[in-house]
Amino acid sequence: MPKNTKKSFPGNLIPFDRQFFTGKEKFTLIGRGSLGGKAHGLARMREILEAEISPLFSPDIQVVIPTLTVITSDFFDLFMEQNDLYEVSLSNQRDEAIAQAFQRAELPAQLVGDLRALIAQVHTPLAIRSSSLLEDAMFEPFASVYATKMIPNNQLDPNIRFRKLVEAIKYVYASTFFRDAKNYMLATKHTSADEKMAVIIQEVVGSRFGNRFYPQISGVARSYNFYPLGHAKPGDGVVILALGLGKMIVDDGIGWSYSPAYPQANPPYVSISELLEQSQTEFWAINMGPPPEYNPIKEMEYMLKFSLEDAERDGALRFIASTYRLRDDKIVYGIAEGGARIIDFAPILKLELISLNTMLRALLKSCEEALERMVEIEFALSLDEKKGVPARFGFLQVRPMVVSEANVDVSLAELMGARVLVATESAMGNGVLDNIWDIVYVKPEKFSPNKTETIAAQLEELNRKLGASHEPYLLIGFGRWGSSDPLGGIPVNFGQISGARVIVESTLPEMNFMLSQGSHFFHNITSFRVFYFSVPHWEKYTIDWSWLKKQQAVTETEFIRHVKLPAPLKVKVDGTTSRGVIYHD
Amino acid sequence: MSHKSFSSFEMAQSQFDRVAAWLELDGTTKDLLRWPMREYQFLIPVRMDDGRTKIFRGLRVLHNDARGPGKGGVRFHPQETIDTVRALAMWMTWKCALIDIPLGGSTGGVICEPHNLTLREQEQICRGWVRQLHRDLGPQIDVPAPEVMTGAQHMLWMLDEYEALTGKRVPGFITGKPVGMGGSVGRLEATGFGLVFTLREALKELGILPEETKASVQGFGNVGQYAVRLYQQMGGKVICVSCWDQKDATSYSFKKESGIDLDGLLNITDRFGGIDKKRALDSGYEVLPGSAWLEQSVDILIPAALENQITEDNVRLIHPRVKIIAEGANGPTTSEADQVIKERDIFLIPDILANAGGVTCSYFEQVQSNMNYYWEKDEVLGKLDVKMTAAFDSVLELAKKKSLSMRDAAFFIAIVRVAQASRDRGWV
Repeated sequence: MPKNTKKSFPGNLIPFDRQFFTGKEKFTLIGRGSLGGKAHGLARMREILEAEISPLFSPDIQVVIPTLTVITSDFFDLFMEQNDLYEVSLSNQRDEAIAQAFQRAELPAQLVGDLRALIAQVHTPLAIRSSSLLEDAMFEPFASVYATKMIPNNQLDPNIRFRKLVEAIKYVYASTFFRDAKNYMLATKHTSADEKMAVIIQEVVGSRFGNRFYPQISGVARSYNFYPLGHAKPGDGVVILALGLGKMIVDDGIGWSYSPAYPQANPPYVSISELLEQSQTEFWAINMGPPPEYNPIKEMEYMLKFSLEDAERDGALRFIASTYRLRDDKIVYGIAEGGARIIDFAPILKLELISLNTMLRALLKSCEEALERMVEIEFALSLDEKKGVPARFGFLQVRPMVVSEANVDVSLAELMGARVLVATESAMGNGVLDNIWDIVYVKPEKFSPNKTETIAAQLEELNRKLGASHEPYLLIGFGRWGSSDPLGGIPVNFGQISGARVIVESTLPEMNFMLSQGSHFFHNITSFRVFYFSVPHWEKYTIDWSWLKKQQAVTETEFIRHVKLPAPLKVKVDGTTSRGVIYHD
Repeated sequence: MSHKSFSSFEMAQSQFDRVAAWLELDGTTKDLLRWPMREYQFLIPVRMDDGRTKIFRGLRVLHNDARGPGKGGVRFHPQETIDTVRALAMWMTWKCALIDIPLGGSTGGVICEPHNLTLREQEQICRGWVRQLHRDLGPQIDVPAPEVMTGAQHMLWMLDEYEALTGKRVPGFITGKPVGMGGSVGRLEATGFGLVFTLREALKELGILPEETKASVQGFGNVGQYAVRLYQQMGGKVICVSCWDQKDATSYSFKKESGIDLDGLLNITDRFGGIDKKRALDSGYEVLPGSAWLEQSVDILIPAALENQITEDNVRLIHPRVKIIAEGANGPTTSEADQVIKERDIFLIPDILANAGGVTCSYFEQVQSNMNYYWEKDEVLGKLDVKMTAAFDSVLELAKKKSLSMRDAAFFIAIVRVAQASRDRGWV
């Protein structure tokens, strides 16, 4: 009988051998197409993690890429063709209609056997993640553009587990053509028809606590910090940690942020009560309990938010929280005493229970060297319940960060003057723009927190028109852009405002908003080099509303105005001082 | 094609004897397993459309049901013989045991030429066949299915007759029903796709990439068509297919070196899998003698027509490039040809493994019918793939371990399972 000889697969990866956890290889492929950006990033880091990072921190921290298999993009092509899905996908149908059409379609015959075999032996939660080809080709992050679906995968019946996996894959495929993704494409000079999707099926790092499953820590680490505080420099980077799934950081914009150069420094706060208010009070977990209402086209079908009390009952706060002691108005490390809990990761960052920060610095450096640019990484940690160590560090993603290094100076004097439309000492980005002829702004006299969803819809419509004619614009609004709470700001996603090259978020005297400082769109802002201005009304530098009102509107609705100027605006942002200014002619 | 001198059943028995000897089966077990347990031969009078009555011969053979109810197709073929039906029933027993589904083996048929029969006449044959046998058929006894020149419509007529006779709705009586009438999605594709699942595993074993291979296929019926489809989707190129031409009463091979266009060919193919010769020529195909499929310079041969196709007479015409033969038909290779194939180190995926997708999916259909429930297609095909791949792996593992051919290893596993079930029941 002839001998088996191995042929090379993309990235020298090994084909899935129907042994997910038990196989020798923990990073495998189904198919022979492309890996997509996310999986490609992980594949590049695989050997570095094993050879360089893991030995340094073992046995206290086990550094791994959680077990995964990638369904390569050739199956996406086959799925689309076999089910004639391009017409509905590229139509203007609602996301739900597209998702339903994808659910009705059938996965290719040569794929389902591997999925069936996988599901037969895996009973723990899985993340079904998108890995887009354009992301890979453009070497730019498409963060939060496509769906990731978490499934508990704990049903006794393998038929049900299989069905849930299949539904999740179809949902991720469908998300390639959702409205947000199409809008997003407008900013990339591509269309959704160019896009292809690989899918990552990956174990979720974490532990099961009764009816929920979550990592004790999830986090994001970035090489560059646009908002360095105290002694920290932008190049020191920034780390944000949170309890539970990383959605809390990426989508809700909540977490414990610190400079890796100064891990013991607290973020600035006026009073302890302010710190208590701003720190994490809830966390995301996978629902392992009674199934929710059946809804295969809902990304969050199996995700639930829980309170810190739940986490404490689970025993998950022991190594990550401090306690506010009322009797002497102090914060003490750990949770030995009663009192309000603060998720500040003090036992790890300040008492160095595990050398997480040292490891993150090493990891950032290795990733920067591998990708030859600044990076952002996502990770999750599960800790030993009793001792904290050994900890299992799951490396989930690495993305390039686009940081302009042009030298732009904005002096304090420049922030004042007759031609200044907007000025701030809290701007993100770095560079100069002089091609913005259009301004879209929310009318301050009409803005109401109760109308933010209507405003979001009107902005989307206008964005589509401007995007279609490739006209970049300045966007001005109130509250946190991208807020998940409509009362806290305008609940857009980046796709709905993808044509904006400068975004201004402001406040009004009668509203007490916390500004987001770009946290909801962080990846998009950095990758598309969008300038982001935070201009609270109480600061001395504000917006020249009277000049804006005098400009002729091209389009005007109840809540927004679109102004086209006779001459372009000049926008300057100094990344080192965070000063930014916009001049009109 | 020489049906006169060749005995399928003798071939099936000799395959059994060889493995039984290795296994050192006792005499009683051998006696039980080398013959069918039940046989039915009967007559079916049918009033033809022209008013005359014609008598057709019907057959049903149940080889062994130690592991579960009998399962096997009903063939309509003018050259049908009890000898062939016995062989097919025996192979069904081994196939079900190898793929590890709880069914025994049976096969039936009617000696007739469907090309020359109207649909009404065929319906009468179907109903007559069931009337004669219904007491010994049923979900717990013996479950018929489509085979050569029978399809979903025939199965539905048979089901309807059975339900009329028993006064019940019994969708699990038969498989291969139309989807929407108790049939299973994926059943049509099952045999062809199942074959390609095993072919895929064989390619992996040999370290060959599908997109670097070419194939030639004998037979363009259900099995051949779906095998071609999935193989092409995997990246392989089919350069030749052959089929029977009813009008000329001979077979032809249709060749295109750049690769056949499956959908284009299907547009010029009749319901029995016969390709329109003239239109094929117009579409740029070379039309060659029926035997030419075997001689092509390809990596893979897929005999997916009838038994006794690769014989001592033609086995040496197989091109030196051929590395794999995947048997889509039942018994397409004679024992003598088998020996030559072995000597040439061609990787042979034996029929009881390669074409077991059909009966596996029939079993899935029966389970769904008995539950009056349905599965989605990806669920059916996912389960099918897992079953086929697991069976392939176990055969390959045994073949390597005991230095057996894939065919002998497959028979080895199947016979051990059936013999054990017979012993467990206290039959031997």
